[in-house]
Amino acid sequence: MKWLVLSLALLAALLAAVTLGPATVPAGQLFRSAIFWDLRLPRALLALLVGGSLGAAGASLQSLVRNPLADPFLLGLSGGAGLGAVLAIALHLGGAWTLPLAAFAGALLALGLVFRLGLVGGSALDPRVLLLGGVAVGAFCGAVTTAVVSLAEASALRNAYLWLWGGLSGASWDTVTLVAVYVPLPLVVLLAAARPLDLLTLGEEPARYLGTDVAVTRRRVYLAASLLTAAAVAVAGVIGFVGLIVPHLGRALFGGRHRALLPASFLAGGILLLLADTLARTAVAPRELPVGVVTALVGVPLFVLLLRRWTAA
Amino acid sequence: MRRCAQLLVLLALACRPAERGASTGAAPARRIVSLAPSLTELLFALGAGPQVVGRTAYCLYPPAARAVPSVGDGLNPSVEAIAARHPDLVLLYRSPQTETAARQLDALGIPTMLLKDDRMEDVARTARLLGRATGRAAAGDSIARVIDSLLAAPVLPTPTRARIAFVVWDAPPIVIGSGSYLDELVAMAGAENVFHDLHTPSATVSLETIASRDPDWIAILRDSLNAQPPAWAGRREWRTVRAVREGRFLILPAELFGQPSPRAPEAVAFLENLLNHSPLPAPQ
Repeated sequence: MKWLVLSLALLAALLAAVTLGPATVPAGQLFRSAIFWDLRLPRALLALLVGGSLGAAGASLQSLVRNPLADPFLLGLSGGAGLGAVLAIALHLGGAWTLPLAAFAGALLALGLVFRLGLVGGSALDPRVLLLGGVAVGAFCGAVTTAVVSLAEASALRNAYLWLWGGLSGASWDTVTLVAVYVPLPLVVLLAAARPLDLLTLGEEPARYLGTDVAVTRRRVYLAASLLTAAAVAVAGVIGFVGLIVPHLGRALFGGRHRALLPASFLAGGILLLLADTLARTAVAPRELPVGVVTALVGVPLFVLLLRRWTAA
Repeated sequence: MRRCAQLLVLLALACRPAERGASTGAAPARRIVSLAPSLTELLFALGAGPQVVGRTAYCLYPPAARAVPSVGDGLNPSVEAIAARHPDLVLLYRSPQTETAARQLDALGIPTMLLKDDRMEDVARTARLLGRATGRAAAGDSIARVIDSLLAAPVLPTPTRARIAFVVWDAPPIVIGSGSYLDELVAMAGAENVFHDLHTPSATVSLETIASRDPDWIAILRDSLNAQPPAWAGRREWRTVRAVREGRFLILPAELFGQPSPRAPEAVAFLENLLNHSPLPAPQ
């Protein structure tokens, strides 16, 4: 029943995303228009994939570091991606795919640094070291980014900042194909770790007694979730709150078992981002809002509401 | 830190009483620091180039301006670097940040002018103002008259009334709206900005809006005049825009179009010439 509702919500969100937009396309011509086939449909699918990736990454990271505040971007990836993008612009690197590639490279660099830092406390990736390392690497990348922005020419970098605030305007069949090929592997890795993740939420000691290889699980989950986030930031910038809120919604509706929580978070993340992007494109049309602004505007009140219900219960 | 810097500057200025005295009164400014590319260009056009002792890193026109020492950024100015040029007049582009800098300069006893020159009318007004401030009132009036007559001249539509979209950034797509100098130039060249209904100088829009407004041309500003289409034109999502598919780009020199300028007539003529010599294909 719950799954049916979620699937119907997904269909409704997809339908809204492909039929609504700043350009008026008569319903009869929808399936013959380039706006539908080449802009709205790939953009909707990309929103679904990116939102889903952030939802699933958020759910697994929250369990990994056993902290309800964990967000896919908390571990320094957004800082790394931003630095990559700003450097690419400041160095005048040309090419149609420069920005996403540079952001991806920057995110991978941050990922590597945080991972290396996490191993300082032993092969089991101490969650506290991961969190602190992530925040430190993110802050460092942010400082370098600001230094580059303040020294290089202003206008192009202001635009890079806008890109960082998140947006799906770069969606095309090329990006959708790329992400659709890339995303399943880390998702499968996360799903395969569902049972060990269930045990890890009990605590490190009990998980170990129940036969979980804590070190391997943590490393796999951290890398898979981060690789999902790196792809998301490369194609859509930093979209906040999806990875923070969606897992909590998922837990409220589907419980803490990761076999159900991970797919539910993927679907709910996709739905939330689809709705947010539709709103971003239409609310102030023909102008457009950064989608990260909309997810925050929609997500934060929702989150506050949930918090009140949980604390009251 | 900043207070310390101000103190040092104050000390330095106190040692130069003669120059400070010279800056008061209505005498023409002799040592001017200009903190906006458009203002620097205007000063040189007035013939006040030799009076300019400081410029921003972005003031590159006319070429003679490059010989003037740079004081760095104009929108986030370094008061200390400016004061070190011992100016008797500092011209700033009006914004909240520069207003703070202007107050700090005033506190150092350096006269300032905050000017907002975003549109064609502003060029005329600013030319008169700066003409008087530099002792070249006649030159200022003459520039202002040229701009005024351009504004008053009847506009001859191009044969097809070309429809143009200015794309200043691709991800997210940012276009030029009305309330901008470029929008005025397009109108004066007898063409139409398809985003004239957006009442901000620039705005983020969705790609489908650009595709559905179907401009005949995509105009872009570029520092170097190579005729290559921009890199993003190869991206698949941009190919939903007909002008991108057909490679219909107007590559405009940023040096001429990038800022409100006394060379507005030249810019209009440049655009008219481009549009008239690359006629649109007959509608299918």
